[in-house]
Amino acid sequence: MKIRIVLPLLVVLYVIVPVLWGGDKYVLSLLVASFTIAGVALAWALLGNLGGMVSFGHAAFFGVGSYTSALLSMKLGLPIFLCILMGGVGATLISTTVLPALRLRGPFFALAILAYSQIFRILATELEGITGGAGGLSSIPVLPKVLGYDFSSKLGGYFVAITIVLFFTWIYHLIRRSYYGIALRAMQESEDATRVVGVNSTLLKAAMLFISAFMTGIFGAFNSHYINFLEPDYAFHSDWTILPVVAAIFGGYRSLTGPLVGAVAIYLIDQSIFKNLIPSGHQFILGALLGAMVLFSPDGLEPFISKKLRWGKRAAH
Amino acid sequence: MLHIEHLMVKFGGLTALQDFSLKMGIHEIIGLVGPNGAGKTTLFNAISGLVKPSGGRVSFNSTDILKKPMYARARMGIGRTFQVPQPMSELTVKENLLVSQRFGTGKVDEKKINEILAFLNLSRKAGYNAAMELSLSELRALEVGKALATNPRLLLLDEVLAGLEASEKRILMGTLTDLHEKYGIGFLIIEHDIETISSLCKRVCVLNFGELIADGTPQEVFRNPTVVKSYIGSSHA
Repeated sequence: MKIRIVLPLLVVLYVIVPVLWGGDKYVLSLLVASFTIAGVALAWALLGNLGGMVSFGHAAFFGVGSYTSALLSMKLGLPIFLCILMGGVGATLISTTVLPALRLRGPFFALAILAYSQIFRILATELEGITGGAGGLSSIPVLPKVLGYDFSSKLGGYFVAITIVLFFTWIYHLIRRSYYGIALRAMQESEDATRVVGVNSTLLKAAMLFISAFMTGIFGAFNSHYINFLEPDYAFHSDWTILPVVAAIFGGYRSLTGPLVGAVAIYLIDQSIFKNLIPSGHQFILGALLGAMVLFSPDGLEPFISKKLRWGKRAAH
Repeated sequence: MLHIEHLMVKFGGLTALQDFSLKMGIHEIIGLVGPNGAGKTTLFNAISGLVKPSGGRVSFNSTDILKKPMYARARMGIGRTFQVPQPMSELTVKENLLVSQRFGTGKVDEKKINEILAFLNLSRKAGYNAAMELSLSELRALEVGKALATNPRLLLLDEVLAGLEASEKRILMGTLTDLHEKYGIGFLIIEHDIETISSLCKRVCVLNFGELIADGTPQEVFRNPTVVKSYIGSSHA
């Protein structure tokens, strides 16, 4: 990542956006929701890009992360940020049950994890004693005050969301350019060729699953303390799988920033334009947009924009 | 170094290897010949961990390796090439070697990688995509290079010389001989060309229908009537 791209981005996110919209609760809540989706999209893209697996089950990791964190904070009264961390750990733990599916490839893995993700929604509904059942949990503790700054405000939530997203993007970047990342890239086309030179391909793939689940769980956990309310049909809603997938593919799941760009673009356009035009069923426009994107720029929005920028520069010379 | 006892590999009802035993010393070059379907590649697959034998024992430096996964065998010092070259197609030539070295040996030593590249005449192609931009002989060289980068003690070479032009063949053969002398790597070589085998190896094993039918010097083996029969047919024997 180049500093001349990263630095302006940080300034925009941490200074310009708060200055312009810091008091606008509507815009902030849109941004927080889009960054939550961006985070899941990033985790999804990491698994797809590095692990070579297409997942339709991230809603399970999201839901387990949110319930874990909410319950730990409500029943044990642990510090909220610790609970959020444990939400990630919880999602990672339950992702170990997907390990047998790792030997499946492509669509078979996608179907297996789709079925698997339903288990946890049902568990959250049925284990009434712990999760409150279909009625859900309310008054989940808000984000705390740290060093005098109150993170429970909309702006506080915004800062937490972008910080986690940026941190995970950095982690993703580090993995991708490490030897593990290179080996993972090689594994997708030629797994035997990597195993025969000593790459423990199964372990590497499992590691990507764990990291992806952890990231997703963290965002679920964050979200539960941000909206302070959970019910199984919400926390495990298929939207938590589908929106990130659409966002990542729309933005360009092969690039580092594609899922983020895609999530923000998709969510903001959907909520501020399509929702007003067609109050119910506006999601179908997202489907049409995604279809168009795959046809015109299969690598997504981010590479499309960078290409245009490069052309612009060349034309200017 | 490599000790194979009563190895048996079955695919469903088909027996690909039957009661195969072989003792290979350190610093040996053994040629493995036999008609198509005799079980040569299957033997390599069983040693490197790509297929699971249904019986027998394989030990490497007195460690039983059959229970070990493929990557662990590579790390122990068993390198192999594939008959159909399998470059890591998303990567450049140099990245192929770096990944092999990093995971095969646990550390990265770029000097050694550059040495291997130079040794195999691949320096010029270091930055090229391994799958798209190499000739057949370069792909073969890369196969050897990836295996070398893992710092092997034993190298299983599956027809690395087949299909190459005479001059390319000579160069790669020279390279192999140098490797053997310089690093003391043992070779097990599958090769169809009798002349090549005779000039590279002091010992030749012949497989036919999954069984070892001869084991000896090239002179002995290629005069053995059973071997000639399996190769050319009975009327010429």
